[in-house]
Amino acid sequence: MTSVLSTRPSIERPTSVTEELPPEIARDAVRFPNGLPGFEACRSFVLMQSDVLGPLQLLKAVEGPSASFLVIDPRRVLPEYRCELSQADRHRLGVSAGTDALLWLVLVTIELDGTVTANLRAPVVINPERMTGHQVVPHDCVYPIRHVIAEGE
Amino acid sequence: MLVFTRRRRETIMIGDGISIEVLRIGRDGVRLGVVAPPDVAVHRKEIYDQIREANQKAAAAPQDLGAVAKRLRQRA
Repeated sequence: MTSVLSTRPSIERPTSVTEELPPEIARDAVRFPNGLPGFEACRSFVLMQSDVLGPLQLLKAVEGPSASFLVIDPRRVLPEYRCELSQADRHRLGVSAGTDALLWLVLVTIELDGTVTANLRAPVVINPERMTGHQVVPHDCVYPIRHVIAEGE
Repeated sequence: MLVFTRRRRETIMIGDGISIEVLRIGRDGVRLGVVAPPDVAVHRKEIYDQIREANQKAAAAPQDLGAVAKRLRQRA
Protein backbone atom coordinates (compact mmCIF):
# COMPACT_ATOMS: atom_id res chain seq x y z
CA MET A 1 0.00 0.00 0.00
CA THR A 2 1.33 3.43 -0.81
CA SER A 3 -0.12 6.77 0.01
CA VAL A 4 -1.07 8.33 -3.31
CA LEU A 5 -0.37 11.91 -2.37
CA SER A 6 3.02 11.17 -0.90
CA THR A 7 6.04 12.76 -2.51
CA ARG A 8 8.39 10.56 -0.51
CA PRO A 9 9.57 7.16 -1.67
CA SER A 10 6.72 4.72 -1.58
CA ILE A 11 6.40 2.54 1.49
CA GLU A 12 5.99 -1.16 0.91
CA ARG A 13 2.89 -2.39 2.64
CA PRO A 14 1.13 -5.73 2.82
CA THR A 15 -2.07 -5.95 0.83
CA SER A 16 -4.37 -6.04 3.84
CA VAL A 17 -6.39 -2.86 4.01
CA THR A 18 -7.50 -3.33 7.58
CA GLU A 19 -4.06 -2.86 9.14
CA GLU A 20 -3.13 0.13 11.24
CA LEU A 21 -1.46 2.88 9.27
CA PRO A 22 2.14 3.71 10.00
CA PRO A 23 2.71 7.33 11.10
CA GLU A 24 4.65 8.12 7.91
CA ILE A 25 1.47 7.68 5.90
CA ALA A 26 -0.75 9.47 8.40
CA ARG A 27 1.29 12.60 7.75
CA ASP A 28 -0.11 12.67 4.23
CA ALA A 29 -3.62 13.03 5.56
CA VAL A 30 -6.15 15.09 3.63
CA ARG A 31 -8.34 17.31 5.79
CA PHE A 32 -12.09 17.03 5.23
CA PRO A 33 -13.35 19.98 7.34
CA ASN A 34 -16.94 18.72 7.17
CA GLY A 35 -16.23 15.01 7.08
CA LEU A 36 -18.48 13.10 4.69
CA PRO A 37 -22.29 12.98 4.97
CA GLY A 38 -22.98 10.29 7.57
CA PHE A 39 -19.33 10.43 8.69
CA GLU A 40 -19.15 14.02 9.84
CA ALA A 41 -16.65 13.20 12.61
CA CYS A 42 -14.14 11.76 10.12
CA ARG A 43 -12.11 14.87 9.39
CA SER A 44 -8.91 13.37 8.11
CA PHE A 45 -8.32 10.71 5.46
CA VAL A 46 -5.44 9.09 3.62
CA LEU A 47 -5.77 7.89 0.05
CA MET A 48 -4.04 4.60 -0.63
CA GLN A 49 -3.47 2.44 -3.66
CA SER A 50 -1.87 -0.88 -4.43
CA ASP A 51 -1.50 -3.11 -7.45
CA VAL A 52 -3.88 -5.60 -5.89
CA LEU A 53 -6.56 -2.97 -5.36
CA GLY A 54 -6.33 -1.15 -8.71
CA PRO A 55 -8.30 0.39 -10.37
CA LEU A 56 -9.84 0.98 -6.96
CA GLN A 57 -8.19 3.08 -4.29
CA LEU A 58 -8.90 3.23 -0.59
CA LEU A 59 -9.90 6.39 1.24
CA LYS A 60 -9.33 5.63 4.90
CA ALA A 61 -10.23 7.81 7.88
CA VAL A 62 -7.30 8.41 10.21
CA GLU A 63 -9.18 10.60 12.68
CA GLY A 64 -12.50 10.04 14.41
CA PRO A 65 -14.50 6.81 13.96
CA SER A 66 -12.87 4.18 11.77
CA ALA A 67 -14.24 4.22 8.26
CA SER A 68 -12.83 3.38 4.87
CA PHE A 69 -14.24 3.78 1.41
CA LEU A 70 -13.36 2.28 -1.92
CA VAL A 71 -13.05 5.00 -4.53
CA ILE A 72 -12.36 5.16 -8.25
CA ASP A 73 -11.56 7.85 -10.80
CA PRO A 74 -15.01 8.67 -12.25
CA ARG A 75 -13.56 8.98 -15.76
CA ARG A 76 -12.63 5.31 -15.61
CA VAL A 77 -16.33 4.67 -15.13
CA LEU A 78 -17.65 7.30 -17.52
CA PRO A 79 -15.04 8.98 -19.75
CA GLU A 80 -17.20 12.07 -20.31
CA TYR A 81 -17.84 12.54 -16.57
CA ARG A 82 -17.99 16.20 -15.66
CA CYS A 83 -19.28 17.90 -12.56
CA GLU A 84 -19.39 21.61 -11.76
CA LEU A 85 -18.17 22.92 -8.44
CA SER A 86 -20.20 25.65 -6.81
CA GLN A 87 -18.55 28.72 -5.35
CA ALA A 88 -19.12 27.25 -1.89
CA ASP A 89 -17.43 23.97 -2.94
CA ARG A 90 -14.43 25.89 -4.28
CA HIS A 91 -14.23 27.88 -1.08
CA ARG A 92 -14.25 24.72 1.01
CA LEU A 93 -11.45 23.21 -1.04
CA GLY A 94 -9.41 26.40 -0.97
CA VAL A 95 -9.29 26.46 -4.78
CA SER A 96 -7.56 29.58 -6.08
CA ALA A 97 -8.42 31.11 -9.46
CA GLY A 98 -8.96 27.78 -11.17
CA THR A 99 -5.26 26.95 -11.30
CA ASP A 100 -5.23 24.12 -8.81
CA ALA A 101 -5.37 20.62 -10.28
CA LEU A 102 -8.08 18.78 -8.40
CA LEU A 103 -8.33 15.06 -7.80
CA TRP A 104 -11.79 13.63 -8.49
CA LEU A 105 -12.97 10.36 -6.99
CA VAL A 106 -16.31 8.64 -6.56
CA LEU A 107 -17.31 6.23 -3.82
CA VAL A 108 -17.72 2.59 -4.81
CA THR A 109 -20.18 0.21 -3.16
CA ILE A 110 -20.00 -3.56 -3.39
CA GLU A 111 -23.52 -4.84 -2.87
CA LEU A 112 -24.45 -8.15 -1.26
CA ASP A 113 -24.80 -9.96 -4.61
CA GLY A 114 -21.42 -8.65 -5.78
CA THR A 115 -22.78 -5.84 -7.94
CA VAL A 116 -20.28 -2.98 -7.94
CA THR A 117 -21.73 0.52 -8.15
CA ALA A 118 -20.26 4.02 -8.14
CA ASN A 119 -21.86 7.12 -6.68
CA LEU A 120 -21.46 9.53 -9.60
CA ARG A 121 -23.89 11.97 -8.02
CA ALA A 122 -21.73 13.06 -5.11
CA PRO A 123 -18.01 13.01 -6.03
CA VAL A 124 -15.22 13.44 -3.52
CA VAL A 125 -12.89 16.22 -4.61
CA ILE A 126 -9.38 16.68 -3.20
CA ASN A 127 -7.19 19.73 -3.64
CA PRO A 128 -3.67 18.27 -3.40
CA GLU A 129 -2.08 21.72 -3.05
CA ARG A 130 -3.99 22.43 0.13
CA MET A 131 -4.51 18.80 1.16
CA THR A 132 -8.19 19.50 1.68
CA GLY A 133 -11.10 17.37 0.57
CA HIS A 134 -14.83 17.66 0.30
CA GLN A 135 -17.71 15.51 -0.88
CA VAL A 136 -19.86 17.52 -3.25
CA VAL A 137 -23.58 17.42 -2.47
CA PRO A 138 -24.87 18.85 -5.72
CA HIS A 139 -28.06 20.83 -6.08
CA ASP A 140 -28.57 19.62 -9.62
CA CYS A 141 -26.78 16.62 -11.05
CA VAL A 142 -27.60 14.34 -13.96
CA TYR A 143 -25.56 11.40 -12.65
CA PRO A 144 -27.04 8.60 -10.53
CA ILE A 145 -26.07 7.73 -6.97
CA ARG A 146 -26.05 4.06 -7.97
CA HIS A 147 -24.28 3.62 -11.30
CA VAL A 148 -23.51 -0.06 -11.98
CA ILE A 149 -19.90 -0.65 -13.06
CA ALA A 150 -19.93 -4.45 -12.75
CA GLU A 151 -22.84 -6.85 -12.42
CA GLY A 152 -23.06 -9.31 -9.55
CA GLU A 153 -22.63 -13.06 -9.93
CA MET B 1 -38.91 24.87 17.06
CA LEU B 2 -39.42 28.52 16.20
CA VAL B 3 -42.42 29.03 13.96
CA PHE B 4 -42.85 32.14 11.81
CA THR B 5 -45.54 33.41 9.51
CA ARG B 6 -43.91 35.01 6.45
CA ARG B 7 -45.45 36.55 3.36
CA ARG B 8 -43.94 36.80 -0.10
CA ARG B 9 -40.73 38.90 -0.17
CA GLU B 10 -40.36 38.59 3.61
CA THR B 11 -37.16 37.20 5.09
CA ILE B 12 -35.86 35.33 8.12
CA MET B 13 -32.36 36.11 9.38
CA ILE B 14 -30.28 33.40 11.09
CA GLY B 15 -27.12 34.49 12.86
CA ASP B 16 -24.66 36.61 10.89
CA GLY B 17 -25.07 36.48 7.16
CA ILE B 18 -27.73 33.83 6.67
CA SER B 19 -31.08 34.93 5.29
CA ILE B 20 -33.98 32.99 3.85
CA GLU B 21 -36.48 34.87 1.73
CA VAL B 22 -39.89 33.69 0.59
CA LEU B 23 -39.80 34.30 -3.16
CA ARG B 24 -43.02 32.68 -4.30
CA ILE B 25 -45.87 30.82 -2.70
CA GLY B 26 -47.50 28.22 -4.91
CA ARG B 27 -50.21 25.68 -4.40
CA ASP B 28 -47.79 22.77 -3.90
CA GLY B 29 -44.68 24.49 -2.68
CA VAL B 30 -42.89 27.55 -1.46
CA ARG B 31 -39.90 28.92 -3.36
CA LEU B 32 -37.18 30.10 -1.00
CA GLY B 33 -34.02 32.08 -1.63
CA VAL B 34 -31.13 31.35 0.74
CA VAL B 35 -28.15 33.65 1.19
CA ALA B 36 -25.35 32.17 3.30
CA PRO B 37 -21.58 32.59 3.69
CA PRO B 38 -19.57 30.17 1.53
CA ASP B 39 -18.50 28.11 4.54
CA VAL B 40 -22.12 27.32 5.42
CA ALA B 41 -23.49 24.29 3.60
CA VAL B 42 -27.04 24.65 2.26
CA HIS B 43 -28.71 21.46 1.05
CA ARG B 44 -32.10 20.02 0.33
CA LYS B 45 -32.36 17.62 3.23
CA GLU B 46 -33.59 14.66 1.16
CA ILE B 47 -30.55 14.85 -1.13
CA TYR B 48 -28.17 15.02 1.81
CA ASP B 49 -29.97 12.04 3.38
CA GLN B 50 -29.66 10.03 0.13
CA ILE B 51 -25.93 10.66 -0.01
CA ARG B 52 -25.51 9.85 3.67
CA GLU B 53 -27.29 6.54 3.11
CA ALA B 54 -25.15 5.78 0.05
CA ASN B 55 -21.99 6.57 2.04
CA GLN B 56 -23.03 4.21 4.82
CA LYS B 57 -23.51 1.40 2.28
CA ALA B 58 -20.17 2.24 0.66
CA ALA B 59 -18.35 2.06 4.01
CA ALA B 60 -19.29 -1.59 4.50
CA ALA B 61 -16.66 -3.12 2.23
CA PRO B 62 -16.13 -6.89 2.06
CA GLN B 63 -12.81 -8.56 2.83
CA ASP B 64 -12.04 -10.01 -0.60
CA LEU B 65 -11.33 -6.66 -2.21
CA GLY B 66 -8.62 -8.18 -4.34
CA ALA B 67 -11.17 -10.37 -6.13
CA VAL B 68 -13.46 -7.40 -6.75
CA ALA B 69 -10.58 -5.31 -8.08
CA LYS B 70 -9.55 -8.17 -10.37
CA ARG B 71 -13.08 -8.38 -11.72
CA LEU B 72 -12.98 -4.65 -12.52
CA ARG B 73 -9.58 -4.95 -14.22
CA GLN B 74 -10.81 -7.84 -16.36
CA ARG B 75 -13.83 -5.83 -17.33
CA ALA B 76 -11.76 -2.84 -18.51
